Formats: sequence, C-alpha cells, structure tokens
Amino acid sequence: MTITRIIVPRLILLFFVVFGVAIITFAISHLIPGDPARLIAGDRASAETLENVRRDLGLDRPVTDQFVIYVRSLLHGDLGTSLRTRRPVAADIATFLPATLELGILSLVLAVLIGVPLGVFSAIYKDGPIDQIARTISVCGISMPVFWFGMVVILLFYAKLQILPGSGRLAMAFAVPQRVTGFFLIDTLLEGRFDAFLSAVRHLILPTFVLAFANLGVITRQIRASMLDVLQEDYIRTARASGLRRRVVIFNHALRNALIPSITLLGLALGDLLYGAVLTETIFAWPGMGTYVVTSIQTLDFPAIMGFTVVASIGYVLINLVIDLAYMLADPQIREVG
Amino acid sequence: MVFSHWKKIGLALLLATSVSSSAMAAADVLVLARAEDPPTADPGVEISNSGYTLIYAAYEHLVAYKGATTEVVPELAESWSVDDANLVWTIKLAAGHKFDDGTAVDAAAVKFSFDRLMKLKAGPSDSFPVLKEVQVVDPMTVKFVLSSPFAPFLSTLAVSGAAIVNPKVMEHEVNGDMAKAWLVEHSAGSGAYRISSWERNQSIVLDRNPHFSGPAPALKQVVIRVMGEVSARRLQLVNGDADIIEQVPVDQAEALKKDPSIVVESNPSLYVSYVYLNNKRPPLDDVRVRQAISYAVDYKGIVDGIMQGQAVQMRGAVPDGMWGHDPAGFQYSYNIEKAQALMKEAGQSNVHLTYTFSQADTSWEPVGLALQASLAEIGIKLDLQAVADTTKREMAAKGNYDLAPGAWTPDFADPYMFMNYWFDPAKMGGPGNRAFYDNAKVTSLVQEAASTVDQAKREKLYLEAQTLSTQDAPYLYLIQKNDIFARRAAVQGYVYNPMLIQVYNFATMSKKE
Repeated sequence: MTITRIIVPRLILLFFVVFGVAIITFAISHLIPGDPARLIAGDRASAETLENVRRDLGLDRPVTDQFVIYVRSLLHGDLGTSLRTRRPVAADIATFLPATLELGILSLVLAVLIGVPLGVFSAIYKDGPIDQIARTISVCGISMPVFWFGMVVILLFYAKLQILPGSGRLAMAFAVPQRVTGFFLIDTLLEGRFDAFLSAVRHLILPTFVLAFANLGVITRQIRASMLDVLQEDYIRTARASGLRRRVVIFNHALRNALIPSITLLGLALGDLLYGAVLTETIFAWPGMGTYVVTSIQTLDFPAIMGFTVVASIGYVLINLVIDLAYMLADPQIREVG
Repeated sequence: MVFSHWKKIGLALLLATSVSSSAMAAADVLVLARAEDPPTADPGVEISNSGYTLIYAAYEHLVAYKGATTEVVPELAESWSVDDANLVWTIKLAAGHKFDDGTAVDAAAVKFSFDRLMKLKAGPSDSFPVLKEVQVVDPMTVKFVLSSPFAPFLSTLAVSGAAIVNPKVMEHEVNGDMAKAWLVEHSAGSGAYRISSWERNQSIVLDRNPHFSGPAPALKQVVIRVMGEVSARRLQLVNGDADIIEQVPVDQAEALKKDPSIVVESNPSLYVSYVYLNNKRPPLDDVRVRQAISYAVDYKGIVDGIMQGQAVQMRGAVPDGMWGHDPAGFQYSYNIEKAQALMKEAGQSNVHLTYTFSQADTSWEPVGLALQASLAEIGIKLDLQAVADTTKREMAAKGNYDLAPGAWTPDFADPYMFMNYWFDPAKMGGPGNRAFYDNAKVTSLVQEAASTVDQAKREKLYLEAQTLSTQDAPYLYLIQKNDIFARRAAVQGYVYNPMLIQVYNFATMSKKE
C-alpha cells in the first residue's frame, strides 16, 4: 500500500523529468553554433553536398518539427541514429552502458565493503592509530586525481610488475562474449568460458580499484561522522548500561542508525561513479559511456547526446526511487509515517 | 571454510596471471593502438583518416600511389587513355582481382561503386566535381565521362572514396540506403584484408581476404585497438602488447627514441598548419596589413619551440613533397622593421583583432599566444577567443572571424588541392577559400591549370599563381608538419606515403622478433 504510494507518483514524475530534460538538451544542442552536416560531409564539402546531407538527416526541417519528430520516436522507444557512427543510438548505448555499469557497480561495492568497516572502526577508536590510518586513506582517496592515480597503478602493475593488464575489458586472445547482459563477468560464465571469465576479472581489478578508491574516502568519512554522532546518543548508553555486549550495540544499534544518512550518499556516489568513470575509462581504454559521450559532444552528435541524457535522467530518477525504498527498509519510522 | 574458498579463487587468479601476462602478440598478428574509433568503414561516406586505415586495407582502387611518391600507378586498372577533348577516360581493368567472396572485379563493379558514391553524395563524392557518367564498355573496360576537363582526374581515382565495392553488397540494403548501414562496420572489397569483427571503442579485427590476388600477406591478422590515453598507448608499445601506436606527441616521441626496441617514424607530411586572414574585413582587406602580419611572425620560434623541430616553415601554398611546390618561392621571414613600416604605410595603428581557435589541434593555442606577442610589436592588439571546434569551423566557413588557424591535408595528389581550394573565389567559405581571397589574375591562372591536362604546363601556371598569391599574403603560411607515430623495431616493411596518413601497407608488412 505505502510502497505503491511512493512508486506511482515517482513514475509519473519520471515522465515529466524525461520530457523536460529532452527539451533542455534539444534546445542547448541546437543553440550551439555548428553544423553537424559539416562534420559528417567534411569541412570542404560543397554547398550541394551539405544540402544533401542535411536532407538525409532531417536537419533541413524547422527545429520545432525536428523536436516533434524526436519526441514522437522517443515515445516509440526509438532514440534515433547517431550522426557519427551511423548506428542506432539505442544500440550504441546498449554496447557501452553495461561496460560502465559493470565497472561502476563493482567499484561501489568495493568502496562500501572497505569504506563502511573503515568508517566504523575509525569512529570506535577515534583518534587512535586505526582512525589516523583510515583518515589518511580517505584524504588520499578524495584528493588524488583519478587520472594520476590510474597511471601510477598501470605503471606499477602493468608496466613494472607485469601481473595485471592495463587496458581493455578482455585479453585479445578471447572473443568478446555474445551480449546477454553486457556484463562480461556474467556473459562469459553463461557461455561456460571460465578462462575468459578470469581474463575479464583480471581486467577489472585495476580500474575498479582506482575508481573505488576515489569514493572510498567519502564513504569512510560519512560513516565515521554519523557513527560518532550516534555513539553519543542516550540510547546507546542505555543499551550498554543494560548489559548488552559492545559488539551487539555497535553493529545492531549504532551502525543501523548511522547508515541511514549514508544511503543518500550511496545513491549520489553511484551517479558520481558513472561520471567519474569518464576519466578512468579513458586511462584504462575501457569502452564505456564516458568515451562515447565525450566524442559525441565534440562532434555535435545530437541524437547521441540526447539519447544519453534521456537514459541518464531515467537512471537518476530510478536510483532515487531505490534510495527512498531503501530508507523505508532501514528506518521503520519512515515506513510508518509514509 | 570460507577462507579456503577464497584461497582457491586467489590461486586460480594467480595461475591465470602467470600464464597470460605480457604474452606478446604472435608474429603474424599486428596490433595497432590509436586514440579514436573510426566512425565508419564505408568508402561512400567516410572522410577521416582513421576510417581510411580500414578502407585501404579492405578495398582496392583503379590506381594506387607508387611507393612513397604522390605519383599514381595501376592497381585494378591495367591501362588508361583519355580522348582529345579531355572528357572521356577509358580504363581497361586487369584480370584476376577478386572480391572477398570470390567474385571477379569487373566493369559493372566499377560502375556500381561510382554510381553509389555519387548517389550517396556525402563528403567523398566532392573529389569528383565533374563526373557525369560511368559506362560499361565490356566486362573489362569502363568509361568515365566528364562534363568538363578536369586535370587531376586520374589522381582522384586513388582517393578513399573511389574504392571499388562488390555490387553484391546490395543484398544488405535496407530502405534504399545503398547498404550504407551494413558497410559502416563491414567491408566488401578486393583488398588484402577484410573486417571480421568490430567491437565499438574497443577493437577491430582484420583478417586476410582468402581471394586476394596479390601475394599472401605475412600478417595473418591486424588488430586495431582504441586507447584514448597516450601514456597508456606508450606503455602498451614498450611492453610489446602493441606493435604500432599513433598520435604520439613530440615530447613523448623524444623519450621513445631512447628505447632501442622502438622506432619513432617522423616523416615530412603534406599536413600544413596555417592561419586564415579574413581578406574581406578591414583592416585585413589591405594587403599591406596582411604583409605586415606575415613579417611580424617568429617562424623559427614556432618551428623550434612549439613544434620542437618536427616541422618546417611553409614556402608558398603548395607544400614540399607535392609537385607544384616552388623550392625557390618567396618566404616571409621575421622582420619587425619592415612590418612596422608596412603598418605605417597603410596608416594603421592601434588595431584590434581577434584570433578564433579551438583545441582540435594542440598547437593552435601556443601559436595564438606567439602571434599575440608578435603582433603587439606592430601595434595590433590580438585577442584570443577559444571556441568549440564545430563553432570555429562554422565561423570560418561564414567568414565570421579576423584570424583563425586551420589545418589542411590534400585528398588527392595534385596542387589543385591547395591552389584551387585556397584561391578560387568559387570555393569561398567552407570548401577551402576561407580567407575570402579574390584576385582576378590568380583566379584565371588556377582555373586554367585545373582544366589543362599537360602537367608541365599546369606546373608553370600554378607556380605563377603561387608567386602572385604569396605576395598578397591572404593566409599566414606557418608550418608543414611531420607525421609522427611509433612502432616496434620488429615491424618490417612499412612504407610511408605522404598521401596516406594513418594508412598502412599491411599486406607487405611483417614482424620479425
């Protein structure tokens, strides 16, 4: 009952968000001076050739018509054709998005697995050696530029030690698996190719670590701060006074409450990871959305830019929805009031 | 219990590591790493050099550049002749060439390819401005009918767009697109290789065409890998995971030269970097102001400082390496007194101009800064305006700028690519005359040269036009760049051709460890 009450308005909102985003992106990409036809046919193209290319792409029609056509096909689930790659935008996104998600999700999981315990222990042993180490790590994570740190780990593990690959998703000896989920870790296993799976794992290690490290710091600090707040609360003292064991109090009472503000952070972190992945993707030659979007912007590839923006805004709305649901699970108060 | 599981997985990973780490590519597989994924591999639409890499590997042309020269020799053609009016070119095809499905290359295929090119009318068709019709005379003879004499015709047959495509490709046509969608990532040619797989932004695999008429290539497979970051490409090369890397900045090239297993290829190219001066806008409509600017530039500083010696100063419009270049032609040099005198003569002082540039070429910003300092000495305050590259192109095409840097490479091996494109008022704006230059004498000379067939006569006309146009200083002639890439020393047989930047003779290259 309450869950429907949260989900339905969100889905209605989703429609308006996507429509608004479509209008804004469309307007911006058409306000930029620059003729996509010139990019496709080349700078030197004759006036006739340019005219022909414009007609071919529907760029000769009034902007309002172009927008109506775009929205109409969007409602049919058609994101149009990329001006640059001449492939359907949906196909391009289906190729690149899973690569970014695979990297982004694994990094987030890794950042949480390390960041949360680190934050907890840092708070429990405030100002002790563990806290000092954790704080150093988190400052490093936040302040070290990804492109620099990325190059350092490639230099160390790929160039010097030669134990891990420094680029790509799979060793060249392996054929790219048939796309089912687009996640190589899953698709290779579905094909029963354990050696290709291992290659995919090895290729994920460095970029995942680099991307996780940047977010690790934020998560650690957030958890530490909220744990410190929670540990001051009366109910913690009461719990301890009533004879409950320290471990039970910390993990069952304190951590659960400290996690609530962190859930929002995790949602935002996922968004950050997707866009922080741009640099990581470039350094590790990871064929994800980052490279695709950057190239699309440089070449004024309207359909590709719009397609990405629409998909990304849907993603953000859904992530926020998931966060709200997660709140309900973590905090019974929100569940009852909601 | 739990821990022993993890131990097993860790052990498995370690084993996998020791087996496959730093396994160099096999001797018959060549790995090329570059910054960007080619947009398409369709000769009918592709206009980027990164796409040409694929097109020249997978397709043959009627003629091809001879070795390292800009001269053309028969490839699919056996011989050719032209009628007295210079309007009909008859080309006889050589026997034995086959597409990758085993079908023979015949006159019908040639007609199909050019009909397709002209019907698509995307960028590449612009190399054939006067092609009226292609006729099949007999299965091995084809006629090209032109609407007016066009001297560079034969050399235009070597451009990427003139690739001969298997007519069977029409089996893949969708909604009358002339198989455009299919040819984006597939090939249908008679070249030594064919595209066997293409993972966007990751890798493209080229395998041998089993029906290729020439000697079987030593390289069984060519893999093109996309790696955006130059340092990552460099590490791959040094570790032996890549055999060739492209887009090597001059500073990195210096460092790579120290490694004996690496060869840095730095060859004089026909790529020129110059600055458009808007001849329509005062005070740049005054030839003396344009000359003054040309005398105020520190050319040596640009060549030695910004380009670290990997370039030479331009001398006239036609670059060294192309016929029609004038080795004795006039070259502006840094002469501040002369520049100041010219400004005074023109009655100009306290001039305010804008230099509109983008980051498409990394040297444009430092060049702008150098110009800013130089022009300040002759009373010109130069503002630098950075815009997106698409915006810069649009502004240049519309003549909406004062000064703007440009880069130019020829599509076909003929001075027409510089002289007619840059100076003919019919090509004002985007097509090439971006300075909006108009000198009646120069116009008649370049137009006559374009319709004359005799090369000696044409050369004379172009040299005269070049002398006149250089005096007019419509552009700021800066530098002719070197083409730089790095390869492992084990890669043998590469032949550099200045017309084929980012294009490799894979079929005659090999690897020797």
